[in-house]
Amino acid sequence: MKRLLRIIWAILFSRATPPFVIGFFLLVYVGIAFITDETLIALMRYTRTSFFLTAMLALLPLNFAVRLVVETIGYLKMRRVVMVSTEDVQPGLFDETVELTVTSSFEQLQSHLEALGYKTRRIAGALGAWRGISIFPARILFIAGVFLLYAGILISLTTRTSERVAIVEGEKFSSSTGESGIVERITFEPSSGLILAKKLSMEVAASSGKGKNVFGVYPPSLYQGAFVYPRYLGIGLFFNFTAPELPAGYETFSPLNIYPPGKEATSVIPGSPYRLVFSLVGPDDETDPYTTGRMNFNFKLLKGKDLVLTGSAPRGGEFVRDGYRLAFRDSRRLVITDFIRDYGVLMIWASGILFVIAGCFWLPVRIFFPRSEMLFRSGPDRIQAFSRAEGRGRKHEGVFHEALDLLEMRRTDRKSFEG
Amino acid sequence: MVAIKLIPHILSWVGIVLILLRGFPERKRVVAVAVGAGFALGVAGTFFLFRSFPGDFSFSLIRDVVGGSFLLLWGIAVASIYRSTVRNFPLSWGERFFASIFFAGVGAFMSGMIAGAISVCRLGTSGGMLMLLILVLVACVLVFESLAIERLLPPSFTVSNSALMAGVVALLLFSSSSILRLDLFSPLSMKVMKFTHDFVHQFFESMLIPDHLFIHIHLWRYIGLLFGKEVGFWGGLIIWFAPAILIALAISFERLPSVAHIRQGAQRRTVVATAIRARRFRLVVPGITILVLAGAGYQSRFPAVEYWDPKPIVISAGPSGEIVIPLKGEVDLKDGKLHKYLFSQGGKEARFFVLMTPTGQLTVDLDACAICKPDGYGQTEGTVLCYYCKTLIPLETVGKPGGCNPVPIHFTEKKDGVYIDGLTLINTWSTTVQTTARVKEGSK
Repeated sequence: MKRLLRIIWAILFSRATPPFVIGFFLLVYVGIAFITDETLIALMRYTRTSFFLTAMLALLPLNFAVRLVVETIGYLKMRRVVMVSTEDVQPGLFDETVELTVTSSFEQLQSHLEALGYKTRRIAGALGAWRGISIFPARILFIAGVFLLYAGILISLTTRTSERVAIVEGEKFSSSTGESGIVERITFEPSSGLILAKKLSMEVAASSGKGKNVFGVYPPSLYQGAFVYPRYLGIGLFFNFTAPELPAGYETFSPLNIYPPGKEATSVIPGSPYRLVFSLVGPDDETDPYTTGRMNFNFKLLKGKDLVLTGSAPRGGEFVRDGYRLAFRDSRRLVITDFIRDYGVLMIWASGILFVIAGCFWLPVRIFFPRSEMLFRSGPDRIQAFSRAEGRGRKHEGVFHEALDLLEMRRTDRKSFEG
Repeated sequence: MVAIKLIPHILSWVGIVLILLRGFPERKRVVAVAVGAGFALGVAGTFFLFRSFPGDFSFSLIRDVVGGSFLLLWGIAVASIYRSTVRNFPLSWGERFFASIFFAGVGAFMSGMIAGAISVCRLGTSGGMLMLLILVLVACVLVFESLAIERLLPPSFTVSNSALMAGVVALLLFSSSSILRLDLFSPLSMKVMKFTHDFVHQFFESMLIPDHLFIHIHLWRYIGLLFGKEVGFWGGLIIWFAPAILIALAISFERLPSVAHIRQGAQRRTVVATAIRARRFRLVVPGITILVLAGAGYQSRFPAVEYWDPKPIVISAGPSGEIVIPLKGEVDLKDGKLHKYLFSQGGKEARFFVLMTPTGQLTVDLDACAICKPDGYGQTEGTVLCYYCKTLIPLETVGKPGGCNPVPIHFTEKKDGVYIDGLTLINTWSTTVQTTARVKEGSK
């Protein structure tokens, strides 16, 4: 049991785990590529549905969560060691370790290192020296960012649900989770933003009757725990159609995905061989009919595969010919919207922010103020010396070796004095 | 002529043997025997493979093996960069394995086998056993030559384990990229293009980023760059060179030996300088590897192959709207060559071709696929090649839909010719070209 726990801990803690897991998924990807062209989508689907693949993916955030803790503990230990607050110096903490058969109180060495710009701390037989700023905060932010990224991907892959709804002006704002008030207005107008060229807003009266909610494009708004993600624009068309074989006529409201102008959508007349293909006419003055609300519709009437007639009529107008009649009673703006429940999104965005902060901290510190540290501990007949550097290692090593030479020189001096 | 054809393979072979000999300096004899035996077995095995499976299967199998070695190189490259930058990275078992006689023997044998298989792909089996026997003999002579050349190399020129792997795989890729049907770089570029397209699409969907409808056109054009074939090429280059670069970086990042125990400054500097010089020598093979990979990429990008690409014959439909192409008229439709036609109707044009596949089936297809821009196809060495993405499609699979295959068109074969519905042809062309054009413009 202990052995098993040790293996699990090793997998969770090891730095070999992330490249191994990523390599594994790469191989799965390559394997899937032999079967289908939609490789990425297939891999996402398999990961979502297979417990084994989900567990493999979960190893990544778990590994980084464990490393976040372990590296923080390691850093605090290291800090205590260099600040000469503990005698417990574990192997592997430093780049170089050396023992000299000499003793010293480190007074001279302390002033030598201080003259070179090192900060020092000397406590009974031990001297710690350091300069620069540690990149540890950047490292921790980076690991936290990677943890959030993989956790976000995992949560998003396994728990994301999506529901597509047409939000129509003048109708109830509703999804499967419940209804809110009436959609009072949908506006679509130019925006002066850096990224977004158009501003869309859906104004919805609160179900309590007081106030209203406004849903925009980005950042996505939340509605009953789901993100409101507008996908496409369209027109909700109320039309009445009569034909020689359908004297009673057929009246319906049809949500049509016909924006931008020229895009076609079909509406089938049930119980008849007729189909109507609609499109929005682009005005000559190049205004946007969705924005202005001045809408003209082109239509094609098909009976089976045969084209019966074509024509156009404005909102509120009608078209009559050869016993056929098509009247556009009303048209309303609509937005095809996805209601998405996915809390991984927030984590992925947060990871992006952490990466940026970590990078902004790491770069200047690594270039201008890299951390370098030394520790000298005096025993009964020898001195142990340790050194590490996060950057400009050669220069720091030179100082470290000089410090060791200085200690060695004292022994030589003492010997010649005693001699 | 045969010797000229084999030049890239001979150069690769000598390079592989030299790197292996220098990479295992204590086991030269084992390496020389294993690599020679591997080559002979590779030649014999491929000869029988082609005799048993004369179609595309044999080429695919060998290409997949070369691809597998490239994946393995990626693994080694990642491991070596971790090894040199991360303290206490658990790789000691791997290093012990690398140093073993087993690895030296098996590694050399496998390298020889793949090199032999690639050489047979170049020669084909038409020359018979004698030609292949000569090939094996030449390879063995070159092993002895390499043994002699290796002795002339300076002793300070050493090869690290990862650089050895990189050098051998790069030379195998160089060798295989001179054969169109074994080339890996073009399919890699195509896969990268597809992956980037899918990834960007999925990223937008997952991060709830608005569609192009809401985004500035100039910004969307930049996003659109991610959907172009240049992304495939540049992304492919990154994947192609990254292992060699990672290995070079891993060698550069290797820690210098600790000299803290040495009390004479001059001696310390000598030890460090010696270590730096040795490290520089170890960078030679990764450097050569990068050049070899560049050569392989160049061969893939500009293959020395001539394509059969006839000018499309303008054709029209009869009163019934049906196109009739006689089986034997101006051209012989059953000659196994690709015959292109251009059909116009109502101001729209459609380009298509008729081809007799090696299985004896006639096929009519658009001169365009469902995913690339309609740059068309050329025919070469048992394949047709998509000019846009450089993907090779074996003749056996032409007429089947999917991927970069030409879009098949429904037709009827009668005694006097091939009958195609003109309207169906025009509509299929319009739909296909509209779809691919939208993808290339960067729409989601």
